[in-house]
This record gives sequence, structure tokens and C-alpha cells, in this order.
Amino acid sequence: MFPPQFGYYRPSSLADALDFMSGGGAKPLAGGQSLIPMLKFRLIQPKFLVDLNSLRELYFIKDEGNIVTIGSMIKHADIVKDLTIKNKLPLLSQTASKVGDMQVRNMGTIGGSLSNADPSADYPAIALVYDAKMVLVSSSGEREVSAKDFFKGPFTTELREDEILREVKFPVLQGYKFKYEKIVRRAGDFALVGIAILAKVEDNKVEDIRIAYTGVGDKPYRPYELEKTLIGEVSLSKIKEFAEKVSNSVNPPSDSRGSSAYKRKVTQLVTINVLKEVLGVVS
Amino acid sequence: MLVRPGEKVKIRVKVNGIWYERDIEPRMLLVHFLRDELGLTGTKIGCDTSTCGACTVLMNGKSVKSCTILAVQADGAEITTIEGLSSDGKLHPIQEAFKDNFALQCGYCTPGMIMQSYYLLKENPSPTEEEIRDGLHGNICRCTGYQNIIKAVQDAARRMRA
Repeated sequence: MFPPQFGYYRPSSLADALDFMSGGGAKPLAGGQSLIPMLKFRLIQPKFLVDLNSLRELYFIKDEGNIVTIGSMIKHADIVKDLTIKNKLPLLSQTASKVGDMQVRNMGTIGGSLSNADPSADYPAIALVYDAKMVLVSSSGEREVSAKDFFKGPFTTELREDEILREVKFPVLQGYKFKYEKIVRRAGDFALVGIAILAKVEDNKVEDIRIAYTGVGDKPYRPYELEKTLIGEVSLSKIKEFAEKVSNSVNPPSDSRGSSAYKRKVTQLVTINVLKEVLGVVS
Repeated sequence: MLVRPGEKVKIRVKVNGIWYERDIEPRMLLVHFLRDELGLTGTKIGCDTSTCGACTVLMNGKSVKSCTILAVQADGAEITTIEGLSSDGKLHPIQEAFKDNFALQCGYCTPGMIMQSYYLLKENPSPTEEEIRDGLHGNICRCTGYQNIIKAVQDAARRMRA
């Protein structure tokens, strides 16, 4: 298989790239690990590709104390290796090591993955659970969008055709327990169901807890209201009730990875298992 | 640099130590460039869906799936293919280990498997079995059932540490 014909633009600066994109018909090329397969399957036929790989200004990790800002061209492999991220955003560090495989992680970028918004991708759930902020830029300016508002539907985000994601801001949550559990049938698969948890636990009491899922619908899912039922004393019955309510509130698509009913059951069970582990419940 | 649809782009790529300059369409995949333009057919096309890893090569020292990279992305880069692993007619220790441990049957996945093993051992010279399995999960083999491949990588690690 090979892509359809397209033009190719290699910008010398971000401003250059955005200027070019304001003309329409151009798709940005980051790691290409989602874009190139789409081109090979002829799912998209852009007039131009704008290569972001030469733009060093998109390639940074900034530790700003309470916030770590990651440039959109940072690769998954970089995130796995970075000590700042391992210390300050350990959930993101753990998740990056589960994306695809080593070869894919050597090319794929965080910006590309978030912008692609595959309903079974790993990072969107992490962005939701951290309440990350996305910075979108175009030749007419820049705007900040919270992760909650960024993901709109399958492969659909707030990004306009002339915009790219420049950076992602993650708040640092000190002392939070964390886990990303990705259920797959074969190593390297996209998640059948994925669950991300961040929890502040003190003396067996939950002070704050955030939970987000991937693979359970059109976009990553965070049950904001249901989360609150887990605040307070840690109890297995609360966990089981939460898991049941969550699995009843999602409607995963039936596809080659599993039926909707199966995925709902997996959602329920993985919620119980991972919450027990993170909150320290021994049954 | 602007290449209009239908136009070609000139790229310079260093492959196995030799610089090549070619005019290609922007849509040409790296794997096709290596196989069809340069005649280096050691790198294979397996699934074409970025899953099987038969197309694995090194780009600037990192293992990548060449069926999921445009040749134009490799402009100015250094590529190592399976052909570049042996030197002066002598097999690389990883190639020796694959041979001595019967880590191949049809041999189709083998170039990609060896290139990924090379990268894995570069990053982690003493991997556990678990780490080898995790590091190679982007490469699929339909013949061997993987056991001898794992043994070969462990053997290669020993030889390279010596």
C-alpha cells in the first residue's frame, strides 16, 4: 500500500507552518504513526503535508514548579526516559511505556496522539484525569482549551483545520497514588478498555480521586459526578457500587476487540481491581 | 522547502555508511525507498499496517518501522538496515546467535527481529526474559513461537557483554 499523491511543505519556523496552514487543505505531520497508516488506507487525501519535525520550538519539556509543560513534538520514547516527568507526572510516564511498541514510541508524539483522538488511545484518558490544558495555535492567535472540552468525538477535537496543538500543560499532583491499566488481548494492541486513576489518600480516607477511561465510547470518559462517591472512608462496597454505576453509564462500540456487553463487563471488573489496588483494599 | 503535488523532492540519506541522493515523490515510504530505489531488499514488507515489524530499520540509531515513515522524513538521516549489520563479511553477534539458536524458520521476520534486538540490546545490554518479550512485541513471527528468538537474544547479549 502507499499514500495518494500530496504536496509537502517543510517550514523553517512555527509561524511559517501556521501561515501555510491558514491556506487550508494541509495536514500537519508529526510522528506519522497514525497519519501515515491513514494515508496508506486512503482514509484521508490532504493536498499538502506540513512537516513539523524540523520545528525545534515544539520539542521541549518545561518544569514550572506546579505545572509541567510538554511540547507537542515530544515523542513517547522521550516521555518514558524523562526524569522530570517520571518524578512529577508519574502516571504519564507509566502510560507512555504502554503506547504501541518500541518502534512506534521512537516516532510517535504526544501532540499527534492527542490531536488524533483515537477513542481507544492512551493519552486522552491521562489528559482528562490530570485536567490538562491544551494550547492551540494558528496564524490568527492562540487559545487554551481544557482537556474536558478538547475531545469532542471519535478522531474529533477542538482543533480547527488551521490550528495545531503547540503544547500540553499538566498540573503536578504531589503525593497522589496512580495507575494506568490497559486491557489488551495481544501485546501492542489498542486498549480494549483502559483506566487511569489519580488518588490522594490519607489515613485510609480518599481526599481527592480522578478516574478516566478509554475505549468505552466515542471519546475518553471521566465520570465526574460518580467520582465524588468515592471521597471519604475507603470501602470495598463503595468501590463495587461505583464500578457498577460506571459500567451501566457507558456504551462501548462493538468491534473486533469485543462486543459492547463484554467491554462493559471488563470496565466493571477492571475498575474494581485497579481501585482496590490503588486504594489499598485487601479483600 | 515547498514541493507541490506531482513534483519530486531531492533527499540525501546515509544508508549503511553510504550517502545517497535521489529525487523521489513525497509520498514514497522509506521501506520502498530502501528496497526499490536502493535495492536493499533485506528489509521486508509484512503487514503494511505498522503491526508486524518486518520493516524495522534503525534511523539515527533508533528502531523504527520503515513502512510507517516517508522517505522524505529520512532526509539528512542515518539509516542502518540488516545489510549494514555485518562488517567485512563477518556476521554480527546477534546474527550469529540467531543462527546458532535456530531462531528462524522461513526467515521473513528475521531482519526486522534482528534490527529490533540490536536496538533493544543497545538500550538494555542485560535484559531479563520479560524485558526481551516486552521489547520485541512490535515484531511478529508466524513460524517459531518465539522461544528460540528469546534464547538467541539472551545468547547475543552474553556474547556482546564478553
